Amino acid sequence: MNKRKQNLLLNALTWAVVLLSLLPIFWMVLSSLRSFGEITEGAQLSSEQALHWENYRDMWLNVDFLNYFLNSLIVCGWTTLFATMFATFAAYALARFRFRGSDTASIAITVTQVIPGMLFFLPLYMLYKNMGESWGIPMLNTYHGQIFLYVSLFTPASIWIMRGFFMSIPRELEDAAIIDGCSRFGAFVRIVLPISAPGIIATATFIFLLAWDELFFAWMLTSSAEVQTIPVGIRLFNGQFQHRYDLMMAAATVSTLPVLLAFFACQRFFIKGLAAGAVKG
Amino acid sequence: MMLAVNLTPILQGLYMSLLKLNQYTLNQFLDAPFIGLDNYRRILFEGHSPIRAGLGFALRNTLLYTLVVSIAAIVIGLAVAVLLNRDFPAKGVARTLLLLPWIVPSYVVGSLWGFMWQRDVGIVNVVLVDYLHLLDEKPFWLLGANSFWAIVIPTVWRAWPVMMLLFLAALQAVPEDQYEAATLDGVSKWGQFWHITLPILKPVIVIQFMFQFIDNVYSYNIVSMMFGGGYPGEWADLLMPLLTRQSFSYWMFGQGAAVSFIMMTLMLIFVAVWMRSFKRSLANDE
Repeated sequence: MNKRKQNLLLNALTWAVVLLSLLPIFWMVLSSLRSFGEITEGAQLSSEQALHWENYRDMWLNVDFLNYFLNSLIVCGWTTLFATMFATFAAYALARFRFRGSDTASIAITVTQVIPGMLFFLPLYMLYKNMGESWGIPMLNTYHGQIFLYVSLFTPASIWIMRGFFMSIPRELEDAAIIDGCSRFGAFVRIVLPISAPGIIATATFIFLLAWDELFFAWMLTSSAEVQTIPVGIRLFNGQFQHRYDLMMAAATVSTLPVLLAFFACQRFFIKGLAAGAVKG
Repeated sequence: MMLAVNLTPILQGLYMSLLKLNQYTLNQFLDAPFIGLDNYRRILFEGHSPIRAGLGFALRNTLLYTLVVSIAAIVIGLAVAVLLNRDFPAKGVARTLLLLPWIVPSYVVGSLWGFMWQRDVGIVNVVLVDYLHLLDEKPFWLLGANSFWAIVIPTVWRAWPVMMLLFLAALQAVPEDQYEAATLDGVSKWGQFWHITLPILKPVIVIQFMFQFIDNVYSYNIVSMMFGGGYPGEWADLLMPLLTRQSFSYWMFGQGAAVSFIMMTLMLIFVAVWMRSFKRSLANDE
């Protein structure tokens, strides 16, 4: 009886922690459905309050949010595609072959984890500026300038995750396929890729989450609204004279949705992938 | 190749930190006047240079912020992981829901908490003052020393769920019979945690503390969104926001590069010392 009581208490405590940690998210969604007046007057919450769904219409009209939203999708989509592709090939090479410079490559990947690219925003900014002005290759204020940078920022970490997946696949599987007449590349495509699909999905989700969250470089490398992503655009709800918190929370909710959907769609692979990485250290 | 890609910006950054780079010399940075270590001298010793003035505060805040956030995220993550490492109904649901704060993009976290901390309309004051009557009058959370906690709490809120997940994974790899044997020997629950669980988790803690530390030293999004990209005050200004603000509003590119280089050197020293001191416990993990 005592043991059971203790267990019930612990269960209650666990769910209390869950609810407490979800409160800010709940508050974000609730605020997005309150009217501007209710927010600024600090009106007390009551159960008969009407839900102001029109906030979700107004936020697209007030700031050209659709533009920022689409830009985010474009930049993050291409980044995820390229970074996943590069990481897959590089990780496979590092997991299976020893070649000249394979150790150096591993070290270099570790170094990028320790020294984040953020520290080099000045050289990068100069490089992008010069490429546009002296070489005639515009990089600032472009989609490809952002995508190029994000791919190079997020590939190294992804290589680490993928490498673990490839190393856990027994080498014999490929050897058997090669003996049966498959080429090396054929064995990779037909045997290794299908087995490691969960790992690839987990990595792609990870990259998408990182790219969607990127504000620092997005802020520095773009100045025209045509290519700016959500984190830059969402600041526009902080007007000079009033803060439209109702619309801002609606925009915040909408910009959380894509990553939330990606997470729920892939969570089975994703949580497993993250956890596997932790145990291997 | 990879090393070259990493090394080039480091070298370029080092070179830039030796130049007099401002809005006039920026366009032709190869022709900018070479001033040797003058940028470093200005940052470290010249009291009235704009970047020096805020650097002391930013450095102090960054260190405190990083330590508090990293330790809190690890301690809370560990506690909840232990709590979750039992059999109870809807275990998987709880675990997934707990991860949600981490899924919310950090710029959303910044805007959301910036709104929640508002003095008059923010939910924090409404709950603390109007509902719970814990305080007599509504404090300003985004001003003065309070603003330090205003940036720490959201960061911890977003960081600990991942720690929880990683610890939980490590905990599930602990063989059950170790606990059974300890229970037979009459070791208390607390003793079991101290002598069995913690040693097994040590490698994860060592690595995760390092990554937390690195992450938080370069924290930018939450502060910048919460304070609208302006000056967050001397208690909430961190190194990265300071660095970007100084570089892009005062055009002190050379000095900015010098600060970056100092940060990188300090970070490398920290990582080297950290890895060396825990080499053994990490090697056991292999």
